Amino acid sequence: MNVRDELVMRCALRRREKIGGLSDQGFQELLLAVGQRPEDFVDSPEEAALLEVGRALDAYATSLREDDVRDDDEYQQERRRRLAALNAACGHALQTDPDCTDAQVIAAIAAEPGQDQLLSQLMGILRDGGDRLAVPGDNGKKGGPAGSGAKESGAWADVFARPALRLRFAIANACLASQRYRLCTKTCLELLDIMPADELGAGKTCAIAYARLEDEAGFDALDERQGRVGNTWTHLSRAILLYKLDRMPAARRALRGYGSLCEGAAYALLRPVYVEPYLPDRPTVRQASYEEAMLCIHEAEAVLTDVPDFFEWAAQLPGFQDAAQAFADEQGLDW
Amino acid sequence: MGYDAKREDYQRMAIRYARSLDQGDPVVATRAFSNFGRRLAQERDSLPQTDADRAFHLVADATDLIDYQLPFSTDEQAQEIVARAQALLAEAVSLDSHCYDAERMAFDPTTSFEGRYRRLAEREPEVLAGCSEARDREGATQDERTKLAQEIAMRPWRRWMASMAELALICGRNRTCLRLGERLLADDPTDTAGVHLTMALAYAKLEDAAGLQSLAARCAGWAPARGADDAWMLLAQVAIAQKAMDLSLASKALDRIIRTYPQAVRTILRQTELPDGAFSRVITNPYSEDELIVAVSEATVLLDEGADLSGRGPLGLWMAQETARLRPHLAAQTLSQMAGGALQ
Repeated sequence: MNVRDELVMRCALRRREKIGGLSDQGFQELLLAVGQRPEDFVDSPEEAALLEVGRALDAYATSLREDDVRDDDEYQQERRRRLAALNAACGHALQTDPDCTDAQVIAAIAAEPGQDQLLSQLMGILRDGGDRLAVPGDNGKKGGPAGSGAKESGAWADVFARPALRLRFAIANACLASQRYRLCTKTCLELLDIMPADELGAGKTCAIAYARLEDEAGFDALDERQGRVGNTWTHLSRAILLYKLDRMPAARRALRGYGSLCEGAAYALLRPVYVEPYLPDRPTVRQASYEEAMLCIHEAEAVLTDVPDFFEWAAQLPGFQDAAQAFADEQGLDW
Repeated sequence: MGYDAKREDYQRMAIRYARSLDQGDPVVATRAFSNFGRRLAQERDSLPQTDADRAFHLVADATDLIDYQLPFSTDEQAQEIVARAQALLAEAVSLDSHCYDAERMAFDPTTSFEGRYRRLAEREPEVLAGCSEARDREGATQDERTKLAQEIAMRPWRRWMASMAELALICGRNRTCLRLGERLLADDPTDTAGVHLTMALAYAKLEDAAGLQSLAARCAGWAPARGADDAWMLLAQVAIAQKAMDLSLASKALDRIIRTYPQAVRTILRQTELPDGAFSRVITNPYSEDELIVAVSEATVLLDEGADLSGRGPLGLWMAQETARLRPHLAAQTLSQMAGGALQ
């Protein structure tokens, strides 16, 4: 979640609304000015709360970067501390703006109440007004200024609608994590309807759920809708789907596709690692990188363990384990 | 719901004996048959039998060991029981190379679920052909005895298919499980193998409420005659509703399990996973405590899915918590007896 960019856009849009009659070029200049020091342009509780959330997320990210040098106990202790701090900061932001959806969602995730509980809470936020989704071109219930009209798709183009979109993404993610695969696909498809360019990557979440439901038609329709441009998630999901449908030669091809698409993909599958909770959207990582494979495997973990012999089958695929081992050697990772 | 190996052994021997008496005087035959039970128990070798009958008898003995004694044995006894059962099964196969039950039961315990599924899948066409031939050899007359003999001839294949369906479920191949189940039901329209119970769990895995409903609607014609209110159907309903976040419906189905089955609170809180019956699903009385224990054990694929360090998946945890909410006193009693105590 790029709070800073959104904050700049929101402040600039509100300012334009106030001034009135600003030309496009004038708006671009305003954007640059806000970009220099966005905090100076914060003059509504909504943006003030978002600024607090942004600062809390920055502090959280700073702590994350030092996890490598912590031993297990230090890590556990620091992890608890930073999540508690994030939760508290979001609570504070909610005093500034009780309707700040991002703060509500992040506070819920940071409290780590268990997957079922989290899903109920997120659905509660949606029900109690977090669903201030603007129909594209409309200002929405919250009455923010009109969208920036930039290249983004559908509802995403309206920067004021993004918290509601992230909330839905967090719900889809919690559905996946609590084994509610139909609800997951339903939520993802709704997101894709209102946000066709899928800026949050709900299609990736959806692909995993379709694989678990062994829903080949659904998976295929999703793939077509996304222009048949495969990614790490769709390749892995296809391998799982075909494996479950007992079409082994095709499953092998799909897994090979996954392995060759992404750096360290085989290693990521055979040596899954713990991934910190998404706050609230999927972290941005380099495309086709090991980090991406790591996120993908993390999201698919429950689905993978539900196919108990998948790992062994993958490890026996000619060259797959070798590739994983080679990646570990090259990167100095444990094998 | 499952097959009784001892009863089947008796039926095979009784049919064989009755046929041997067919040629003689019916009065003498009736008198001779009145001794059958005693002779079977005490002088089995004096009765007419083939190597296949002898092999099946060994299977029945092995079933008693693995499915009915092993679960109640101590660790030391367990090794001996398994060794004895394996010896019986090996002998059965050496007596009758078509003893598919023995072959299926005598798997190497280090084989993965996938490996076992593959092996059964590869051999299934041969088992079907072998059983069909055996059935055809029983003749084409339509008297009760022949019909029973034909039916018995097909049972090893039915058990083979039921095992495959169950392994498919465990391997995460839910559609394959349903397809195998439908194939079996086409041959076994009253579902003597009880495969529809496995199918109910597969529908729950696929969160397919409509599929489960249509399966339930077909239950009426199946043996033993009972409605779609057994533990498997109800557990599947709980799972589908809980996954759809229809928690009040899920709670209602859970409450129905608790009201139907004795000691249900304990069984649901413990959620013990037992080895699946080796011969077939272990025989239990309808709506008994044991039936729920078997059903909950088979539903492990649902309850433990997505398990974290606590060992319970979200559904298993929700069921335990909801049971504790519905029956707080009983739940508190059970939890105080359980290691660890409180629910997380």
